[in-house]
Amino acid sequence: MPELPPDDPITTRPMAGLVLISAFILMLTVAWSLYDEFYGLRPWRKYQGEFSSAYSSYLDKQYKQRKGDEQKFYATPEYQKLLADVKAATDAARSADREIGQKIDLLDRQRAAMTDAFTNSRGLVGSLTYQLEQIDEKDKSSKASKLKDLNEAKAQTYDVAWPVEGGKIEAQHFNYERLNGLFVSIMTSKAKLVAQRGEIDQPAKDAQDKLNAYVKEQLPGLASKDLFSLGQSMKGLDVHIRQINVNPTGASLNNLGGAGLVDRCQSCHLGTDPLLVPVTMTLTNADLGLGKSKDAPFTSHPDPDMMKSHPLEKFGCSPCHGGNGRALDTVVKGHGRYEHWLWPLNYPENYNAGCQQCHASDMVTEHAPVLNRAKQLFREKGCIGCHRFQGFDNQDEEMVSARQAIAQLENQKQEDRLQIAQLNKKGDTASDNDAANRYYAEATNLTVTMSGMDAKIEQLDRRTHNLLQEIKKVGPDLKEVRMKIHKEWVPYWLKHTHEFRPTTKMPQFRLQDDEIQAIAAYVWQSAIPGPALPKQSPGNAAHGKELFEMRGCEACHSIGEGANLVGGNFAANLSRVGEKDNYDYLVRWVLNPRTRTRPYSPFEHKDLGPEDYAKHDLPFVFDLEHSRSPNDGHELVVEQMTVMPSLRLTLEDARDIASFLVTQKHSDASYEAADFMDDPKLKAHGKELIQHYGCAGCHEISGMEDEGRVGTELTNEGSKPIERLDFALLTEDAKLGVLPDGKKSPRGAWYDLKGYFENKLTDPAVYDRGKYKPDPMDRLRMPKPNVTKEDIDALTTFLLGSTDPTLPAEYMYKPADQRAAIQKGWWVATKYNCIGCHQIGIGQRSVLMGLPQFQGENKQNLPPVLTSEGARVSPEWLKAFLANPSLSTTDMNRNGVRSYLQVRMPTFFLSDDEIRALVSFFGAMSSQPQPYIPRKIEPITTAEKEMARDLFTSSAAPCLKCHATGDSGHDKNAIAPNFLFAKERLQPGWTARWLTNPALIAPGTAMPSGLFKRDGDHWVFSGPLPASFKGYKGDQADLLVRYMFQLTPEEQRALMGRTPSGGGAAK
Amino acid sequence: MRKTRLGMYSLAVGAFALAITGCGGKKEEATETAPAATATPGKTVDSATAGEVTGSVKLEGTAPKMKAINMAAEPACTKARTTPAASEEVVTGEGGSLANVVVYIKSGLEDYSFPAPTAAVQIVQQGCQYHAHVVAMQVGQNVDVVNNDQTTHNIHPIPTENREWNESQPPGSAPIEKSFARPEVAIPVKCNVHPWMKAYMAVLPNPYFQVTGTDGKFDLKNLPPGTYTVVAWHELYKTDPQTITIGAKETKNVTFTFKASAAAGD
Repeated sequence: MPELPPDDPITTRPMAGLVLISAFILMLTVAWSLYDEFYGLRPWRKYQGEFSSAYSSYLDKQYKQRKGDEQKFYATPEYQKLLADVKAATDAARSADREIGQKIDLLDRQRAAMTDAFTNSRGLVGSLTYQLEQIDEKDKSSKASKLKDLNEAKAQTYDVAWPVEGGKIEAQHFNYERLNGLFVSIMTSKAKLVAQRGEIDQPAKDAQDKLNAYVKEQLPGLASKDLFSLGQSMKGLDVHIRQINVNPTGASLNNLGGAGLVDRCQSCHLGTDPLLVPVTMTLTNADLGLGKSKDAPFTSHPDPDMMKSHPLEKFGCSPCHGGNGRALDTVVKGHGRYEHWLWPLNYPENYNAGCQQCHASDMVTEHAPVLNRAKQLFREKGCIGCHRFQGFDNQDEEMVSARQAIAQLENQKQEDRLQIAQLNKKGDTASDNDAANRYYAEATNLTVTMSGMDAKIEQLDRRTHNLLQEIKKVGPDLKEVRMKIHKEWVPYWLKHTHEFRPTTKMPQFRLQDDEIQAIAAYVWQSAIPGPALPKQSPGNAAHGKELFEMRGCEACHSIGEGANLVGGNFAANLSRVGEKDNYDYLVRWVLNPRTRTRPYSPFEHKDLGPEDYAKHDLPFVFDLEHSRSPNDGHELVVEQMTVMPSLRLTLEDARDIASFLVTQKHSDASYEAADFMDDPKLKAHGKELIQHYGCAGCHEISGMEDEGRVGTELTNEGSKPIERLDFALLTEDAKLGVLPDGKKSPRGAWYDLKGYFENKLTDPAVYDRGKYKPDPMDRLRMPKPNVTKEDIDALTTFLLGSTDPTLPAEYMYKPADQRAAIQKGWWVATKYNCIGCHQIGIGQRSVLMGLPQFQGENKQNLPPVLTSEGARVSPEWLKAFLANPSLSTTDMNRNGVRSYLQVRMPTFFLSDDEIRALVSFFGAMSSQPQPYIPRKIEPITTAEKEMARDLFTSSAAPCLKCHATGDSGHDKNAIAPNFLFAKERLQPGWTARWLTNPALIAPGTAMPSGLFKRDGDHWVFSGPLPASFKGYKGDQADLLVRYMFQLTPEEQRALMGRTPSGGGAAK
Repeated sequence: MRKTRLGMYSLAVGAFALAITGCGGKKEEATETAPAATATPGKTVDSATAGEVTGSVKLEGTAPKMKAINMAAEPACTKARTTPAASEEVVTGEGGSLANVVVYIKSGLEDYSFPAPTAAVQIVQQGCQYHAHVVAMQVGQNVDVVNNDQTTHNIHPIPTENREWNESQPPGSAPIEKSFARPEVAIPVKCNVHPWMKAYMAVLPNPYFQVTGTDGKFDLKNLPPGTYTVVAWHELYKTDPQTITIGAKETKNVTFTFKASAAAGD
C-alpha cells in the first residue's frame, strides 16, 4: 500500500488562488502606475501633445499663407525695382571694386613679403642705436666704432621675394631705409584704397538698406523660413517638464537663487514659452482652433510689453500670478487653490494683486489699471480715514517724527554747548600749547557742527509748517456746521446718506435713531459760534451756471442726477446742495474754500478767536503768512483742510455761482424739525459715538482733532492667516460655497481672503449675521462704502496683493532715479486732481475732455496738455506759476498765461514741498536733468533782428494773429500765449521743436504744423520769405526762437505797428 | 471553483492588455479649425436694374440773415474779394430751397463694396472763405486743399471719428492732399488764423451722396433696388431720415424739410 505523504502543502493547500489574486493586484498596480505616468499624475503630457499637434498645424497654415504672401510680394514691381537698383548699383561698382580689391591684395602680399626683413632690420638698427646712446660721450673710440656698426647695419640689404603686378615675383634687395619707406607707403596707400572702396560701394549699400527697410515695412513678422523651421521643431516636440529656475544668478535663497523659486507653469501653459512661441507672435486659442475649448492653456502672454520689463528668467510666473509653481499633479494643485497653500492663483478680476507686492510704494503702476484704481479709491473714498496703510497720506505721522527730530537736535545742541565749554576750559588749562590747540580745535569743530544742526532744524521747522498745510480731510469741516448747514438736514443725511447723494464718498453708517440724534447734537453743539459771516446780496444764477460750466468746476464736481449727471466724481455732486447749504457760507466757500472762520492751534488744542488776538493787541488776521499763534508762537492750522482750490473769482462771480448752486434742489424737499440737536443731555453720548465710529478720520470735529484711526491697519492685510479673519457664523457656508444671500458661489468655496474681503466690502455687517448683539456698540462698526462691484474687485485686488513680501528686497520697486520723482509727484497730482483738467500722462484723458462743452471745435477751450510740460517750461518759472497761476499780485481774476481761456487754473495753496514735488515730477516725466541750467541763447545780430521782424510781420507768417500781445483790442481774438512769456517761461529746445511740428507734441493743437520744412540740416520757413532772408544760411526756426527769447515789450509794440493790418485778428 | 479562478485570470489578462493598448494608443483630439470669418466679397451694382432717388431740400420759415464778416484785419483777404463777405451757415435759394445740405444714403448698402474714386475733391480758400462751404467725399477719396490767397491759412479739420490734423499753407504752396479713412458726417474744418473761416467735410462710405446747391436739388443715380435710409444733414438744422424702397429701374422723389425755427440757440 503506497505510503501516503504527509500533508503536502502543494496538494492540500493550493496557493493558486492567492497567486492569481496577487498577480491580478500586481497587474492592476502596474496598469495604474502606467496610467498615472501618462495621464493621472502627468496631466501636462496630455497638454503638450495637444499643443504640439494644434500648434504645428497652425504654423503649417501660417507658413503656407506667408510663403504665398512673400511670393506675391517678391513679384511686385516695387520690390523688383528696388532689387534691380541693388543689382545695378552693385554691378556699377563691381569693376572698380574689383580693381581696388586687387590693389589692396597686392599691398597685403607685399607687406607680408617684407615683414620678416623689416622686423629684423628694424630690431637690429634699434638695438644698435640704443647701445650707441648708452656709451659715455667721453668714450669717443667706443662711440665711433658703434656708429660704424650702426651705419653698416643700416646699409645691410635683405633679400625679399617682392610681388609685383601681374602675379609676378621679383627678387629684390632692400636696405633699412628702403624697407622703412616701403612699409609707410604700403600702409598709407592701403588706408586710402579702403576709403575709396567704401565710397564706391556706398550706393550699393544704400540700395540694399533701402530694400531691407522696404521688406521690413511691407512684410512684418516672421519670415516663412522661420515659420517652417519652427513648425518642424514643433512636430517632434520633446515632452518634458518645462521649468524656470527663477533668477538663478540672484543672491541665493534655499540654494535656488534670487527668488528661491522653481516655476513649472510652462509645462502646460506652453504658449508662454518664448522658445516655442517667439515674443513677436501672439497666440490665442482661436488661432489653434481651440477657441471653444475650456481646457486649452495655450495662449501666449497677453501683455508682451510687460514681459520685456519682467523677463521670465528673473520673475518666473508665480511671484506675480500666485499659485504653486512646483506642483504638476493636478490643475488644482498647480494653481494652488487648495487648503494650506497660502498664495492661490489670482482670479482674473484680481490679476493686478500680483503687482502690489513689489509696487506697493507706487501710486500708479504701468500695466496695472485695476490696482491703480484701487489705490485712488482707497484715498478718495476715505478708507485711509480709518485704516492706516503704509505710504498713504501719513503726514500726521511724519509730523510727529519731524517734531521728535527737532527735539532730539535741540537736546544734542544743548549737550554740545556744554561740551564746548568743557573743551575750552581744558584748553585754557592745558599743560602745553599742542594739547591746548587740540582742545580748541575740537571745540571749534563742535560749534560748526552745531551750526549745521541749526540748518537742519530750520528745514524740519519748515517741513512741519508745510505738513500742517498738506494734511487734508476727505470730508468737510464740521466745526463750521452752524454757519454752513441747515440744521434739520444733519440727521436726515446721517440716516439717508446714499439716498440723498448717490455718488457721495461718505459711507452709510448703520445707526439707530437715538444714535443719530446724539451724534447730530454733538456736532451741532460743539461747532464754533462765529464770528458771523457777512450777509451777501443775491447774485445772477444764470451767469453763475455759465461760470460753473466754463470755469472748470465740473472737472471735480458733478451736477445733475441719474442719467443727467455730468462732471467728475472727485468732489461732491452738487445737485441738491441748495437743500442743505446757507447762501452766505457758499459765497465765501466759492470765493476761497480755504477760508477758515477760526484758526486751530494743535498746541493748545483749541480754535483761536478774536479774543486771543486782542489779548496781544493783534488784529484777527491769520493766513499762510500769519500762521503763528499769538499766544505761544506755534504753527496754526489757518486753512480749511480741503483740497479745493481758489478760482480767484470776483465777489460778484462768487455770488453768481452760489446763487446758481442754491437753486439746485428738489422742489418738494422738506425736513423734519430737529430740536433735539440743542439738547445738552445728548452731547456726551454723541461724543462717545463719534469716537467709536471714527468720524474724525474724515471730518474736522471740535474736540476730536487728536483722535487716531479706528480701523485695522491694512498694509499687510493680504498676509493675514485665514484663521484670523472672523467669518463668524458664515464659516460653514463659506466652506460649502453658499453666499450670504443664499445663492451658490460661482467659484465654489469662498473660505479664503478673497471671499472674506469681497463680502465684507459688499456688506460690512455681514459677519454679524445671526448674532445676538443688543448693544449697537458691540456690532461691527465699519460703514457700508459707496462702491460698485468693479470698485470692490479693485479694492479686493489691492488687499490681496498687500502682503508681507515673499520675494527678496531687490525685487521691491523703489527707484532712486527720476522714476522716484514721478511716483512722488503723481501723489500730489492726484491729490489735487490735476488730471481732472489736464492731460498729464500720455493717453490719459481728463474729465473736462469728456464734457459736452469741450467737444469738437470747442476742444480749443480746454486747458493745456501737459505731457511735455517738463521739457517745455523752465522749472523756476513753473515754481512761480504753481504758487500763483495769475502771475500777478494785483490782477488776480485771470489766467496768467492763457488769459483767453474761460477755464481757470486755480490757486491750490500748495506747500513748498508739494510745489517742489510737482516741478520735479514734470521734469522727470520729460527726462530733464536736475538742477536746471538754461541753454545759452546766441545773441541776435542786427541783421538777424531785422529778418526776424520781417518774417513776424509778413502776411505769410500769421504768428501775431493768434498769439496774445497784451493789447486788449487784439487779444479779444487771441488763442495762444504772449511771446513775451517765452524768455522766462519756455525752454529754447522745446520751443524750436514746437515751432517745427506742434502736432507731435500736442495732437489737435490750434498751432498749425508745416510752418517750417527741412532743408539739408536746418529748418527753413515754408512760405515765401521776406527779401532780407536772401543768402541766409542759418536755421530759420532757431532764428525765430532766439528772437522770441530776446523780445521786449517795446519791440513787440514796434512789431504791431509794422503789421500791415495792425496785427489784429479779425472781428 | 478552479474554472472560475481561471476565468478571472483570463479576464485580468484581457483587462491588462486593454490597458496597455489604451496607454499606447495616441489619443486623437479633434483639432478641427474654425473657418476664417466669412468676409463676403462686396457686391457690385448692376446698372441695368439700377434706380434713382431725386428730390429737393427746403427750409420752412424765414431764413436768418447771415452776419457780414469783417475782414479788415487781413488786407490780403479784402483785396482778393469783389463782394463783401457774409457767413455761410444758412444759404437759401428761390422758394426756400436750402443749399449746403449733404444728402446721403446711410444704410441699406452694407453688402456692396465701393472703391474710392481716383479723382480728388477740391476745396479752395479764396478771399478767406472756403469754396465750397460744404464738401463731401467718399472714404479714402483724396481731398485737395488749395490756397489762392496771398496769406497763410491753416487747415484744421476737427473730426471725432477720424485722425485730426492741422497744417499751415503759405501763399503759393502746392495743394495739401489728404483723405479720411472712416465715414463721418460732417467734420468741421477751421482756419485758426482767420477765425471766421469755417467749412465742413462729409466723409461717406458709398458714392450715393450730394451736397445741394442753392436750388436745393439732389439726384442719387445708379442705385440698386433695395430699401434705404436717406439722410439730409445741415450744419445748423436737423430733420428726420427717410426710409425708401426702390424697385428695379425705379425713380423715387423725396423732399426734406428743415424748420428754420429749429435752429439750436444760435
